[in-house]
Amino acid sequence: MNTATGIIKALNSGIKHLAIKRFTLRYPEEKLKFVGDGYQFDPSTGVGIAGYKGRHMLFHDHCTGCQLCSIACEGVAEAIAMVKVPEEYKQNKKAIMPQIDYGKCVFCGLCVDACPFYALYMTNDYELSSFSKEGLIYTPAQLQVKPFVSQDSEIKITDRGATHG
Amino acid sequence: MNKELPPGLALQKVDERIMTLNVGPQHPGSGHMRIIVQIDGDFIVACDPDPGYVHRGEEKMAEYRNYITNIPHLERPVIHDSCNVLYPYVLGVEELLGIEVPERAKYIRVIASELNRCVYTMYWLAIYGIFLGHSTMFMWPAGDRELLIDLLEKMTGARVTHAHFVPGGVRNDLPPNFEDVCLRQVNYFEKRIKEYAAIFYDNPILIARTANTGVLSREDAIRLGTTGSVLRASGVDYDLRKKEPYDVYDELDFQTNVLKEGDSYARSKIPWLDMMESCRIIRHALQKMPKSGSVRVKLKPNPKGGDASVYKRVESGRGSLGCYIVSDKKPEPYRVKLSVGSFRNLIALPYLLKGEKLGNMPSVYWSLNYWPVEADR
Ligand code: SF4
Ligand code: SF4
Repeated sequence: MNTATGIIKALNSGIKHLAIKRFTLRYPEEKLKFVGDGYQFDPSTGVGIAGYKGRHMLFHDHCTGCQLCSIACEGVAEAIAMVKVPEEYKQNKKAIMPQIDYGKCVFCGLCVDACPFYALYMTNDYELSSFSKEGLIYTPAQLQVKPFVSQDSEIKITDRGATHG
Repeated sequence: MNKELPPGLALQKVDERIMTLNVGPQHPGSGHMRIIVQIDGDFIVACDPDPGYVHRGEEKMAEYRNYITNIPHLERPVIHDSCNVLYPYVLGVEELLGIEVPERAKYIRVIASELNRCVYTMYWLAIYGIFLGHSTMFMWPAGDRELLIDLLEKMTGARVTHAHFVPGGVRNDLPPNFEDVCLRQVNYFEKRIKEYAAIFYDNPILIARTANTGVLSREDAIRLGTTGSVLRASGVDYDLRKKEPYDVYDELDFQTNVLKEGDSYARSKIPWLDMMESCRIIRHALQKMPKSGSVRVKLKPNPKGGDASVYKRVESGRGSLGCYIVSDKKPEPYRVKLSVGSFRNLIALPYLLKGEKLGNMPSVYWSLNYWPVEADR
């Protein structure tokens, strides 16, 4: 192939894209859709359930204060601290529950794998920024709240190319 | 000039034609590392790569964590290729603990690591493009990479640093309907990377800039111990997926790409050809994968290895990646050593740059498929 045709071909393959819809996702106006409600773990089979590894969710009525999640995280990021909670639960005599510091957490989900009582799951929430370091520390009460995550975009593939429709 | 020197001291003679340049460690053309080049006019006469700026002590850290909690930090050296970085470690621990992995998990691991290889290569290609001043070649790979990142996110729950492989299989099964989505996006991805030929690989400007620069002969490639795409671009057919198949690679149908030229152009083309093979592997694996079954063997908490050592290696995006684990009957490994492709390929740099023009330095350097963080570990 001679040089001129090569350069024209190269330019042409780029120019073709002017007529194609853009592929880029317009975050934050559009947000990606995830599978499921977040990463979960089933201790009876020892296998996880696929989902996004975002902010955790703690079920107060399941947590026994056994600290296994905190022990699992010790070797990873030391993000979990066990703190006193004011409520009394029958299954949680010591009244301690995990508090997670998202300034340290790496979202590996090993704490979820460690919890034997179906008390700790992960959710689709990934927008965790804060103006202070303290704002990244989530108390058991904050972790109890189920986040609202809008999800509207998915990759769509047509003959004319792919878009985030 | 004629100063009296104290006895025993002598001034070194200075060659006034030679200038020493310090490229990096912040220079966008070097990554997190420094290259000291000596130039005579526009030509490089000597070069001294100086890695080590992003040393994280991964190997030492691994001695204080148990076999499971080592996973999140051991994939940090190359976050874009995190499944492949973890692969030899996981294979090694499985051998130490004597675990047999379920068949379905092996296929899921192969699919995840091939997707990851493409994600890494696209990122590398994007930077290679921008090094050569071709900004479309930065935008396109960075955008098309999203197709595969989306698949990995559905599969593992994270866009990078998946922490998906564990000794005994993978953390979770595939989400419902994954096979169809994966097939559709991988097919489209393959169609897209074929379009790169016209704009990049067949582009006469690129060929003029990279062909015949930084030529590594077949003998030198073997003598210096290079690996991966650098070795295969110099005409040596060596791919661990073929030579020492691990998991289910021996049952899958693919070929290795070899080019003879050994120049920057060949070195940049091999990863691109490999991505097409990866798409073939993924399609074949999706077809052959058992449709149901267990994906993870349950381990007891804090598993302990015997008095043994094991060495496993896999073909990563940058070549052979080995992991040597010594265990001494404790829950923590006694020693973990990573042998990485990046560091082995960097050794070739002083040989390749001698006599090259300074302007060719970024393209020769990045064509080595080098990842600074991996080399420093
Ligand atoms: S996700 Fe990982 S880093 Fe974060 S709290 Fe759980 S174990 Fe610790
Ligand atoms: S969240 Fe689970 S592992 Fe953590 S203390 Fe509660 S019950 Fe134990």
